[in-house]
Amino acid sequence: MPEERWSGFSYIVTNLARFIRPNEVTFSGVNSNLPMMACLLAKDAYDFYFTYINVAGGVDPHPTKVPISSSDPMLAAGTQSIFSNEDFYDLCTRGGMDLCFLGAAQIDGEGQTNVSVIGDWHAPKVRLPGGGGGAVMLPTARRSCTWRTEHSPRVLVEQLDFVTASGGMHGLVTPIAVFVKRDGRLVLQSWHPEKTLDEVIARTGFPIDGKGATPTPPPTAREQAALAALDLAGAFEEAAHVTLD
Amino acid sequence: MVLSAKDKIVSLSELAALITDGSSLALGGSFLHRGPFALVRELIRQGRRGLELIKQSPGYDIDLLCRAGALRRTRAGIVAMEGNFGLARWYRQAVESGQIELEEHACATITAGLRAAAFGIPFQPCGGLQGSALPALNGWKSCEDPYGSRRDVWLIPPIAPDFAIIHANAVSRSGDARVLGTAHWDRIMTRAAKKVLVVAEELLPDESFRERPELTLVPHFMVEAVAVVPRGAWPGSCWPHYEIDYPAVEAYVAETDSDLSGHLAAAPEARVSANA
Repeated sequence: MPEERWSGFSYIVTNLARFIRPNEVTFSGVNSNLPMMACLLAKDAYDFYFTYINVAGGVDPHPTKVPISSSDPMLAAGTQSIFSNEDFYDLCTRGGMDLCFLGAAQIDGEGQTNVSVIGDWHAPKVRLPGGGGGAVMLPTARRSCTWRTEHSPRVLVEQLDFVTASGGMHGLVTPIAVFVKRDGRLVLQSWHPEKTLDEVIARTGFPIDGKGATPTPPPTAREQAALAALDLAGAFEEAAHVTLD
Repeated sequence: MVLSAKDKIVSLSELAALITDGSSLALGGSFLHRGPFALVRELIRQGRRGLELIKQSPGYDIDLLCRAGALRRTRAGIVAMEGNFGLARWYRQAVESGQIELEEHACATITAGLRAAAFGIPFQPCGGLQGSALPALNGWKSCEDPYGSRRDVWLIPPIAPDFAIIHANAVSRSGDARVLGTAHWDRIMTRAAKKVLVVAEELLPDESFRERPELTLVPHFMVEAVAVVPRGAWPGSCWPHYEIDYPAVEAYVAETDSDLSGHLAAAPEARVSANA
């Protein structure tokens, strides 16, 4: 059925949301539109409570629209408290952060990330934004998940150009695959049903064998409805430029 | 007779004139939100050079300073224009070409350094960082817990900016600064810096501050001087007064040469003085 098909955009947002668990403290930060939408989707589509905190200081906020900036004060609209930057970092380092969404430019097979530089740090080919919270949050959050809108050997690498953050991602979502940590390594959990396992393996720069992986279950009606309501005009999907290739 | 504190209100150009070439500046806000952007633009109008910017998440501010050639160095955790705008192009070029020196931090290590300065101690332990290449890059030292937990911790040296500059929602005449919504890292910046300057949306009477003292982030005695600049956080947001001016940010990002005259002239503070 066509309505059950994934787009690259819906695949990433929805599969990030599927990492969210009941009653946990879940955080999304700056430069993180897709996890922001995943948290808002999960609030609408799933029949369980979780605490959603974000970099705008919101705690279970009620935004009246979805902002273009994932640090927008709109994400604190309707909050009953302000839990600001120093607070959520301290919460994380003392072990109170259950799930953190953290960005990455390159990811290796141990789930370490580079968000700093392409090339040599001291003679950069491309200076990247920097890791923000990553170096402190990735090793101290109970679980962290990341995402990339590109699935290629230059993004999912054997060897990072620079280790910005270590400690290992619990999960990784690309437009065509979902990875999860097993015995300290990222392994394939499922792949986009319109792609083949061989293609996913070929486009992954760190070694994976695909054992135990299955095609990703289609989006549920509630997941689809929740995402559609968040992106009524399709502007977020368009801006994200996600393709399966 | 009870004397009140002195009047700290100055013009924006007088506020910028307090900052000398080569100063280190901690700028409040985060990315495009509630940054002291009118002051940053005024520093560029006045031709300031050799500045250092200290901020966990700079974006428009650092890009502007790089584009103007006003920056020599930065300590930062993550730099981007955010939203759909991606990397901060002039910043990226400045680092790649060696025009500015970058001391790359995690956001929390900037905060730890500011805490060391604010607490008056020679370093501040910071959680996390295990396995990251950042400590070696910056020469940070670690030590084992002297109380016997056998856990190692990284020690971050103090960061004491010459100035903390924040954009507040409101000020009193004597410099009390009220911030609504998240304070980002403004509070610790103002405790760590040698001097605090405030730009504010509006001036409110002392009675208003007496009614809600818990909304005051910085008490007047810590504040050097204040300028009242409505829409001073443009093209960013200042909740609940206004949101990001996206067309203005798009126009800024679309410009390809370093000439900032059009952008600076379009800023609210320039339009007010042109009309005055």
